[in-house]
Amino acid sequence: MDDEDMSCTSNDDDDYDCCDDDYYNDCDVDATDDVAVTSTHSEEAEFECLNVAQVEKVFVESVKTLMLRLNIGDKVAKLLLVANSWDIEYIVSMYRMNRYDLFRQSHMAAKSDVAYEKPKNGYCSVCAIDGYESLASLQCGHCFCEQCWNCHIESRLSEGVATRIECMESECGVYCPPDFVYEILEKGPLRAKYDRFLFRDLVLSHRELKFCVGKDCQVVIRSNEDKPKRVTCESCHTAFCVKCGVDYHAPTSCDTIKQWLTKCADDSETANYISAHTKDCPQCHSCIEKAGGCNHIQCTRCRYHFCWMCFGDWKTHGSEYYECSRYKENPSVAAEANHVKARRALEKYLHYFERFENHSKSLKMEEQLRDKIRKKIEDKVNEHNGTWIDWQYLHSSVSLLTKCRYTLQYTYPFAYYMQSGPRKQLFEYQQAQLEKEVEELAWAVERADATARGALEAHMHRAEHKRQTLLHDFFF
Amino acid sequence: MAGALPRRIIKETQRLLADPVPGISANPDESNARYFHVMIAGPDESPFAGGVFKLELFLPEEYPMAAPKVRFMTKIYHPNIDKLGRICLDILKDKWSPALQIRTVLLSIQALLSAPNPEDPLATDVAEQWKTNEAEAIKTAKQWTLAYAQA
Repeated sequence: MDDEDMSCTSNDDDDYDCCDDDYYNDCDVDATDDVAVTSTHSEEAEFECLNVAQVEKVFVESVKTLMLRLNIGDKVAKLLLVANSWDIEYIVSMYRMNRYDLFRQSHMAAKSDVAYEKPKNGYCSVCAIDGYESLASLQCGHCFCEQCWNCHIESRLSEGVATRIECMESECGVYCPPDFVYEILEKGPLRAKYDRFLFRDLVLSHRELKFCVGKDCQVVIRSNEDKPKRVTCESCHTAFCVKCGVDYHAPTSCDTIKQWLTKCADDSETANYISAHTKDCPQCHSCIEKAGGCNHIQCTRCRYHFCWMCFGDWKTHGSEYYECSRYKENPSVAAEANHVKARRALEKYLHYFERFENHSKSLKMEEQLRDKIRKKIEDKVNEHNGTWIDWQYLHSSVSLLTKCRYTLQYTYPFAYYMQSGPRKQLFEYQQAQLEKEVEELAWAVERADATARGALEAHMHRAEHKRQTLLHDFFF
Repeated sequence: MAGALPRRIIKETQRLLADPVPGISANPDESNARYFHVMIAGPDESPFAGGVFKLELFLPEEYPMAAPKVRFMTKIYHPNIDKLGRICLDILKDKWSPALQIRTVLLSIQALLSAPNPEDPLATDVAEQWKTNEAEAIKTAKQWTLAYAQA
């Protein structure tokens, strides 16, 4: 078809509509047309991996920028940044509108708030002892002795709090800035602990920074991606969603995948058990677990007697007891018993969950396929049957299969939470298309020996094309 | 650390005894100075008026860096107090500040009796009743006060 050319043009950045047309009208894609599938959108987030020193540098630069923009000191600048996700533009606009509101929101003392009389005779109201030579206070002016401050900070640190240690005065809400904490803690053993928590809090407060989720990995990822795209840590090679930190989950959103994973963790075992071991009472539809061998069941709730096998009234089992062992076409009684809302909901969940799980299992098994292919390539090269490069397409076929199946797996939570309607119909249509292509590709890859390179590449191309179409319409 | 009683606790105790808050009495236990026997009179104009409520108050080792532990011993029908007597009050949890005292905590509890807050419930069934049928809830609270909170 001719619109294929359109998606191949160099200025396809702004030709989104044309790409769309291409996907709907074009069912016979030319296998050599690679440009159509390498869409303008990438699933990979733009990011950089930073070590501790580089992260500190990011902080210092932001502080400097804000100091210059607002003509304020470095300590004030840093506090404002930490309290406002390091969003310089937001801080500048709020500062110009009403700096005292901004200070208050940022848990800093505004000058107008400081109307606090110094306690007489060096009295600390927390330990109720007077005669202190010096008392310490934050900008808000609430004075307490250094020993009490120390106890307070220690107590908050034991709860894992660092940037949000509040003033000891009730309802004051001003946070202790780092230099104040350092002064109180001096060089004690708590200082290292505070440093550790402080660094963590600073990174967490920054909207562009994220700790790598890999085990024991110290890397901090910097990315200003606003879509839940994928990052892969350069140090430990863990791949995860740049927004929420769980396994990459396109086309599903962060909120939905969280809901889904929680649901799976909560429900799947229970749901599986209910599905395997219980049936619903044909009269009152309460869920019944059969605990003994007898098929004569009496519902404890509505007292109805029925047969576990055919769901018929037990009375009819009197003379013709084994009636229900005979196979009948369309056993409508049994079918009706399932028409319960709860059971439906469970069935719906299990439908999506089983497919989600099944693809996850397939992905694990295809890891073995990858090893097999690697060995096959080695053997071929050793037999002087082509060069390593000649067989690379086999390798790419497994990688592509993994990629497509991975996306397919994550289409199921997406569909589960989707509202019925034309958009869901479109989604499920595309999902079915992708499902078909993935299975065909899997079949072809497993029998790569018997499949010609051209045919295999055609499969690869079609599968990736369907995957891109789906992501295009529902993710990007 | 354990044996010696901090000056702060001694001073607070002295003041509670010498200058008690109206409607509230707090006496340290003879064997444990961190444990207080508390009585709060039901505030006038509240469904708890005429009742005397017994509470226990314990100052943990970390006090005043950590909040005191307070519990109603007398049965009470209140949306923010559950059947074990535990109290849902922000200053006993995340809003605790070392500058607060036993006195201020008990005053807050007294205020909670005057103004139940069913929007932030601990006893959900009571809160539900309080929201849907306040007149009935107040009637029950009065009945419970008569039945359980008489000195």
